[in-house]
Amino acid sequence: MGIGKKIMTWARIKSPWILHFNSGSCNGCDIEIVAALTPRFDVERFGVIIRGTPRHADVLVCSGPVTRQIRDRLKRIYDQMPSPKFVVAVGTCACTGGVFDGCYNVLGGIDSVIPVSAYIPGCPVNPEAIIDGVVKLVGSLEEGKSA
Amino acid sequence: MEEEKTVNELVGEFPFLDGAVRVPRARRIFVTVPLDRFQSVFRRLVEAKGFTYLTTITGLDTGETFTLLYHLAAENGVVCTLGTSVPRANPEIESVSRFFNGGDIYERELVDLLGIRVNGLPKGNRYPLPDDWPANQYPLRKDWRPEGAPAEPAEE
Amino acid sequence: MSDHSITVPIGPQHPALKEPAGFMLQVSGEKITGVSIRLGYNHRGIEKACEDRSYIQDIYLIERICGICSHSHSTAFIQAVEEIAGLQVPPRAQYIRTLVAELERLHSHLLWLGVAGHEIGFDTLLMYTWRDRESVLDLLADLTGNRVNYGINTIGGVRRDIDPAKIENILKIVDAVEERTKYYINLATEETTLIQRLSGVGALSKEDALRLGAVGPTARASGVARDVRRDDPYISYGELDFKVCTSDQCDVYGRTVVRLLELMESFSIIRQVCAKMPDGPVSVKAPRKVPAGEALSRYEAPRGEDVHYVRANGTDRPERVKVRAPTLANLQSVAKMLEDRYLADTPIIIAAIDPCFSCTDRMIVTDERSGSTRGMCWDELRRHGIEWYRARGIDTTRIKLALP
Repeated sequence: MGIGKKIMTWARIKSPWILHFNSGSCNGCDIEIVAALTPRFDVERFGVIIRGTPRHADVLVCSGPVTRQIRDRLKRIYDQMPSPKFVVAVGTCACTGGVFDGCYNVLGGIDSVIPVSAYIPGCPVNPEAIIDGVVKLVGSLEEGKSA
Repeated sequence: MEEEKTVNELVGEFPFLDGAVRVPRARRIFVTVPLDRFQSVFRRLVEAKGFTYLTTITGLDTGETFTLLYHLAAENGVVCTLGTSVPRANPEIESVSRFFNGGDIYERELVDLLGIRVNGLPKGNRYPLPDDWPANQYPLRKDWRPEGAPAEPAEE
Repeated sequence: MSDHSITVPIGPQHPALKEPAGFMLQVSGEKITGVSIRLGYNHRGIEKACEDRSYIQDIYLIERICGICSHSHSTAFIQAVEEIAGLQVPPRAQYIRTLVAELERLHSHLLWLGVAGHEIGFDTLLMYTWRDRESVLDLLADLTGNRVNYGINTIGGVRRDIDPAKIENILKIVDAVEERTKYYINLATEETTLIQRLSGVGALSKEDALRLGAVGPTARASGVARDVRRDDPYISYGELDFKVCTSDQCDVYGRTVVRLLELMESFSIIRQVCAKMPDGPVSVKAPRKVPAGEALSRYEAPRGEDVHYVRANGTDRPERVKVRAPTLANLQSVAKMLEDRYLADTPIIIAAIDPCFSCTDRMIVTDERSGSTRGMCWDELRRHGIEWYRARGIDTTRIKLALP
């Protein structure tokens, strides 16, 4: 690993910038993701910062199953993110389609459209679980498991 | 009670409604009218009976016909559900958007999900199905099968 | 014309939005001249899915129409089913439903207040209200077992009973949150920066609110005293004493005041429910199959009237379930509110109906003068609004909070 890459990995671990995307969620996971950012849970203490644009983001945090209409949007956002990039599926719907699996306008979980690095199940996910998922993802970056 | 008063007035004005009105509980009226009488009863309810708020429109697949239910609410809490049927072979109805500016979104649902032609519907975006949804696939029809949905949208 | 529009999804800044929606704004310079809204990004086909599932399964599916007003949807649905089946729900169950309903309103309005603060660059308020909201979520978790999507409703009653210790805890926390709410009310009525920023923005006259079928706080802030809890009482509301809060401001400021006052009414309703909680069972046995019939159920969700229509056919699955969520009714008014307003006001105007579609993903702004189209993401637009007002001397970040 070159020195430049080492610095980048170090920076990424210390401060992963995330982008949140709702691909058809009921909003339950979305409010829990925001709750994770507000004073009680405060994921910002791990250096996590929410960004408004995919071009600034390292990690795409997705909630909800993928609806037909949102599918291309989701792919485009993923393509716009600079490499290396990671996707976290938050909630049972994002993992598998959950309760909406089989609905005519639902394609399935996030991994039916884009590759997923971490799955956090729960309906909705508790903020504690989100923190756990983020910490585990950062840990795997540290070990150089995913790239 | 308010709903009884409305029902009595309505049957007085439209004698053919006798027997076509149900009041299952307080503040709920269900009226069924033939398609050719629909507009006149609807207008009367909206313009003279205080049902000034269209809460929503429900469309149902009832076999040979499609049933359309217009849920009209009055400020006193009474909801009158005015129902009519259109033939499956030729599902067509007049838009109510001249009474309710906000009603078009519910009519678009009828167009997309049941394949009903709504005459006089203002121009606008489709709702709620996706842009790449194939024609003649109406998910709320009972004979519709999920196989009719586009399998995987084509790769761009 | 090259396509400069970029797609930027907005999530966390937009917790109150459930359904991704596309807004197309035509502007002439800074003025908005035309609006078109494309919905359906979040259409999952729940109504159809309900027809393939049993009534019990449907409760949990319907609860997931919206994670913020989940109790609203499930209560509206089971009310319709119980009416068709002719079930007499025990009063204690109805009181517990009312309790959860009002706690839901508390967390939803506090959530909205924070989001509204965020949209105008007042992030301190977001952090304060979301901290208060956590204590309400604790109560909901204590009562139902979950913070969001409570799963307390079942056909014929509720799934969990309440005990005196829980009631005592509720009363204690409600007192604390009420103190904070009083502070926010003072802030809203005395802080000139907020008043300047919100007054006159997103105007919707009473006539327009009626004509466009606005519901909930959006309608009540335009002087339309429409509240299903009073007009068409359901669960225990017929036995409780509360006011319908209205405002004649007809703007975003009015919508803020109405929600704040409604919080105060909710505290009072919760205290009444706790004091009057009847004894007895919390559910009756419900049949698996529901006899043929139909019912229309209305519910005053935090965002406005939620309407469910259920038709049963005698089997264990419904023939048809129709859901009209409040945001759909209010979206008709948004186009009207945006007309002739400044681009800088867009985020707060849209947020002020407390819309339930998440990630207002893409805004395409067309400038009539140059004919160019630029894509603007929500966050850019929000920052544009904050800067625009700051340049005109309205800076919300200067507001000092000194909470009790």
